[in-house]
Amino acid sequence: MAAPPAQQRGPRRRPALGPVGWAGVVLLVILTGAAVLAPLISPYDPEETVADPFQPPSRSHLLGTNDVGQDILSELIHGARISLTIGFLAASIAISIGTAVGVAAGFLGGWVEIVLMRAVDLVLVIPFLPLMILLAAYLGPSYWNIIIVIGILVWARPARVIRSQVLSVKCLDYIEAALALGSRPARVMMRHVLPAVLPLSLAQFILAASNSILIEAALSFLGLGDPTAKSWGSVLYYAQARSAFLSGAWVWWVLPPGLLITAATLGFAFIGYSLEEVLNPKMRHGGGAC
Amino acid sequence: MWRFFAGRGAQYLLVIVLTVMLNFALPRMMPGSPLVFLAGEDVGFLSPEQRHQLYALYGLDQPQWRQFLTYAANLARGQLGYSFQRGRPIAHMIGERLPYTLLLVGTALILATLAGALLGALAAWRRGSALDLGSLGVVMLFESVPSFWLAMIFIAVFAAGLGWFPVFGAGTAGVALAGWPLLVDRARHIALPLATLTIITIPGIYLIMRYSMLAVLGELYIATARAKGVSERAVLRRHAVRNALLPVATVFMLNLGFIVSGATIVETVFSYPGIGRLLYEAVLNRDYPVIQGTFFIITVSVIAANILCDLLYPLIDPRVRQR
Repeated sequence: MAAPPAQQRGPRRRPALGPVGWAGVVLLVILTGAAVLAPLISPYDPEETVADPFQPPSRSHLLGTNDVGQDILSELIHGARISLTIGFLAASIAISIGTAVGVAAGFLGGWVEIVLMRAVDLVLVIPFLPLMILLAAYLGPSYWNIIIVIGILVWARPARVIRSQVLSVKCLDYIEAALALGSRPARVMMRHVLPAVLPLSLAQFILAASNSILIEAALSFLGLGDPTAKSWGSVLYYAQARSAFLSGAWVWWVLPPGLLITAATLGFAFIGYSLEEVLNPKMRHGGGAC
Repeated sequence: MWRFFAGRGAQYLLVIVLTVMLNFALPRMMPGSPLVFLAGEDVGFLSPEQRHQLYALYGLDQPQWRQFLTYAANLARGQLGYSFQRGRPIAHMIGERLPYTLLLVGTALILATLAGALLGALAAWRRGSALDLGSLGVVMLFESVPSFWLAMIFIAVFAAGLGWFPVFGAGTAGVALAGWPLLVDRARHIALPLATLTIITIPGIYLIMRYSMLAVLGELYIATARAKGVSERAVLRRHAVRNALLPVATVFMLNLGFIVSGATIVETVFSYPGIGRLLYEAVLNRDYPVIQGTFFIITVSVIAANILCDLLYPLIDPRVRQR
């Protein structure tokens, strides 16, 4: 992980991730590994009908088969690809907007800050899921629409956290020195302020990814995801549509995808919170604005 | 203080104006005729004259700004248009569903706030203890569990499996109940949706209470209270918790949007006839006016709840009154 910005007070220290953070790393390494190796390790093609529908678990199908005779285990292994990729891409969009807004608001101040932070408050007030349902219903279900919709609705919290970091970075000696020496503010912002907040951006990125995976699952579950992509949420959509939770099939059809979503979300959240605790000036004593 | 309210009021007004503008723009921005989104997909079968009549009926032949003013004026009069699936006024459909959602969300909020604040305060008070770490772990798990999945598991185990609760709905259909049996029937139907929504609402409140309590416990007035011999229990109850609760009230507002979102999902899985379920049904039927009307009412309700919190806040924090 990257080193934290040099602090004015107290000794420098590298962030220690702690046991919780490492637990998150282990969870994510396993899930990402499964996603990358999906074609090699999954027993069947998840798009092929390979057995009778609604089979309980057996030697040849460890998690049984779904309503059209596809192997559920293979669906879940391939689903890791879709769910993690969407989480990753949506979080990238969110964090790009969030970092840009946070840095601009914190560094430039004045009316730019007022306008941008009002926009942040505005996004935070709106009930996000109904808004996403509205947008998804109009834009139609597709891979990129989901990513963009999640991305443009998750940036507000990161923007807020990054702005408060910028406010405390702004009064460090080297920033003031750069300005006093006559560097243009835009250059100081790009060369000095931005690098100083990037580690915190990373923590926020990870939390946003955790959030995005959960939201993608919810949208896919409501049938608003990409109908051609098999994510964990869409496996649950079909399980719900076929009332799997009313029969014994829920043990192998409903339980595993939900556990995977929880594991991925928890993995990202563990790392994100651990990093944030190390990096966020507000969570440490002696931090804050000058 | 009045400047504060004016600023907040302007912000809320802006949210509502933007919602109205989004609702107005979406059907008109989409490729193809906006009639498809306003009057239903059947318009493809109409003759050119009929289409023209519909155009005039929806005012689509007028300039955009004029259409917008008409649209806004109708909204202000409570006219949300008609469902093209059922042909009923949308305002009536929402009116039928709203009490169910208010009951579900209101009860979940009260339960989650009590549980979250109590647990958060105790965890901070006994920082580093088994209670603190254990509750923190459980809360992080609650935060990561997909709400719809939790709902499905609850149905599978407690409704379909053990048969303790009904699987769906808000009441037993086709049976005339009154008095006590009616209440029991309603309670049995709301129990599982309520449990799901409460569980996913606890983390936000717990985390902020624990954080705020840790900050308060480091304050000098707590040390003063201890030094003058106030018992630990009284320090906790009278000095710490009361002050630590203030940020919780603020987070409460920020959480409203989240809780309403959660309610949409929970109602959908349990077929609970609230406004979130109405939104979902409208999406399934591609009933665009209902989707828009529901979204509008949900946003307005969240704003109304925010305003209520803003007005009540000075009552619990006297410092705000002097600002």
